[in-house]
Amino acid sequence: MLLVRAIIRPEKVGVVLSELLSAGFPAVTKMDVYGRGKQKGVKVGEVFYDEIPKEMLLMVVEDKDKDDVAKIIMKYARTGENGNFGDGRIFVSPVEEAYTISTKKKGL
Amino acid sequence: MKEVMAIIRQNKVNVTKEALAQAGVPAFTCRKVLGRGKKLIDMTLLRSIVDSGEIPATPTGEYLSEAQRLISKRVFTMIVNDGDVDKVVNTIMDVNSTGNPGDGKIFILPINESYRVRNGETTTEAY
Repeated sequence: MLLVRAIIRPEKVGVVLSELLSAGFPAVTKMDVYGRGKQKGVKVGEVFYDEIPKEMLLMVVEDKDKDDVAKIIMKYARTGENGNFGDGRIFVSPVEEAYTISTKKKGL
Repeated sequence: MKEVMAIIRQNKVNVTKEALAQAGVPAFTCRKVLGRGKKLIDMTLLRSIVDSGEIPATPTGEYLSEAQRLISKRVFTMIVNDGDVDKVVNTIMDVNSTGNPGDGKIFILPINESYRVRNGETTTEAY
């Protein structure tokens, strides 16, 4: 199992979530986050904004589904044809165990 | 060290806190999150309330029908020693299990290193 953490633009959450649902990945957790990336934030006039609001999506998926999930997120969270700075990042890390609380069973 | 990430119901935060403290693993971080699981949310009840006019159709009604249909949850993050993982998992499952879908999930992730900010020591005891 792998944990997919995707940091994306807040306005892209709706379309990404509905596309994940129709691709058969309903389970997702969303949290509000603030951060900056390699571009050190955004400069508007004289003001530097380095705490840019983003949404983080957390999904735990089977190893074989990781590429599909990442592809869907990258396709629909991108702005414009070739994407722009600030479209976000996706990180993948290993998960050793998973439990469902209601049934107390192991596994996804 | 392992990270235990538990997504639980909002109204179970207090009992979980208490149970974990009694189990001897008091350190945790809790966050408000929104999410959905494998089972789709049954919106028929809410939609019938909106249709009957009890809630004004905008903006609540539109939100219920259009938006992403996520449920408010709390995520507990705890960094524990390898030996404590089973204890923590069992404690969380015991107090949070109502037998209904929506009770939540627990994930165990590896943690490579940890540092204590106060004195910079790197230790397996720094959970």
